[in-house]
Amino acid sequence: MESIKLKLIYPEDKIKEPILSRVCKNFDVEINIRKANVTENIGWLELEMTGDEDQIEQAIKFMESQGIEVSPLEGQIFLE
Amino acid sequence: MAKVKALKCKECGKEYPVEPIHVCEYCFGPLEIEYDYDEIKKIVSREKIENGPKSLWRYVDLLPVDNPSVGLSAGFTPLIKAEKLGRKLGLNNLYIKDDSVNHPTLSFKDRVVAVALSKAKEFGFDTAACASTGNLANSVAANAAASGMNCYVFIPANLETNKIIGSLVFNPTVVAVEGNYDDVNRLSSEVANEFGWAFVNINVRPFYSEGSKTLAFEVAEQLGWKAPDAVVAPLASGSLYTKIWKGFNELKTVGLISDNSPRMYGAQASGCSPIYKAFKEGRDWIVPEKPDTIAKSIAIGNPADGPYAVKVGKESSGDMEIATDQEIIEGMKLLAETEGIFTETAGGTTIAVLKRFAEKGVFDPDEIVVAYITGNGYKTMEVLEGHLNKPIHIKPSLHEFKEKVIGIKVKK
Repeated sequence: MESIKLKLIYPEDKIKEPILSRVCKNFDVEINIRKANVTENIGWLELEMTGDEDQIEQAIKFMESQGIEVSPLEGQIFLE
Repeated sequence: MAKVKALKCKECGKEYPVEPIHVCEYCFGPLEIEYDYDEIKKIVSREKIENGPKSLWRYVDLLPVDNPSVGLSAGFTPLIKAEKLGRKLGLNNLYIKDDSVNHPTLSFKDRVVAVALSKAKEFGFDTAACASTGNLANSVAANAAASGMNCYVFIPANLETNKIIGSLVFNPTVVAVEGNYDDVNRLSSEVANEFGWAFVNINVRPFYSEGSKTLAFEVAEQLGWKAPDAVVAPLASGSLYTKIWKGFNELKTVGLISDNSPRMYGAQASGCSPIYKAFKEGRDWIVPEKPDTIAKSIAIGNPADGPYAVKVGKESSGDMEIATDQEIIEGMKLLAETEGIFTETAGGTTIAVLKRFAEKGVFDPDEIVVAYITGNGYKTMEVLEGHLNKPIHIKPSLHEFKEKVIGIKVKK
């Protein structure tokens, strides 16, 4: 089992969609939300996702395909 | 009593022992060093600092390191009174803090890496790592080589190798990840959390970022133990900007200066300005951006310390501005032509924004203003191609030299 800390940022048009619920139904991962701010304009969440490596990878790819910005909790680490 | 009490969550205030950790396990807030300033007051003095090494380690009493062992010649860079640039901008007391000549790899990163890897060695790490193709990779690879640490550098696989020659020369293990920048980010975070390595801007980040405070310490000492009235600094992750502010505040807390801390002016490129936008729109969260600017070294679309930089901008009664790519190039040229300093695009951004603020009249002409130049232009010369005067071509004849170069009409 792996565990990863992520920050998710929702674009305005995706706030009303139950994307995290779909993640839990479609992939074998557990999600623990630690911090969040969801308004009519913006939605961001910081969470811990636990599961097998390939399930986490697939869940992340799914969320990205839905237009969610998925980054490690540390933000942008890579520096040019 | 030790000078460092604990690590403390910047969000919820929960305290942790001094370990290579960076995130609060409860609220996921970032951890920061919690000092015992009463204890530091007893051991620090201007005299002790002035008699210390000619490096950032003269401020070791205000850094989270007990035995400096990496980057022993980092810091202590010139503070230059910029008379010519000042005249152009109507500023009588303009100074340039010139980290383009930092040691060993010519950027301010030598400060943060010196602190991060010295602490990493105290923790017992034998491997340093980072994800970078630029100044950070240069500094981590050089300092790891000099201190006998293993070194891993993560980059996206589709980058040309010549972009990282300045790091490859130090012989790190370079891991080319098949994926985009987001994939490299995520993998780096996973590696940092799983392997016993010092990943400089991840698991030892609380220590790494403290190195930037020395930019404030040095300026105060070089001004004769005085804080400037205003500071202009680039905004990338937001860390440097917030730590300069913290540095001046700490000097006052421990009694080394009596002035209030400066107004903090931040500079971003218009092609990547998430902190500027949050500041101007009054938001305390950052909307990530895909960077599109020549100022690569400060192009952080999802800046970790963005919200804290916004807070410092407000608290210090400062402001933030942006510069276009063209203005950034003009800023690089302006600094070079007036002060003889060749900076990279981050410095060009700072000078362009300094100019904009000066034109807006936010500085009193006699105020002490310090602009932070954080990197060296010789590393990114390609951005200037097509923007500089061309050579005057002549035949090897005195006649042509007089006519074409000097402009003297010579009779035949």
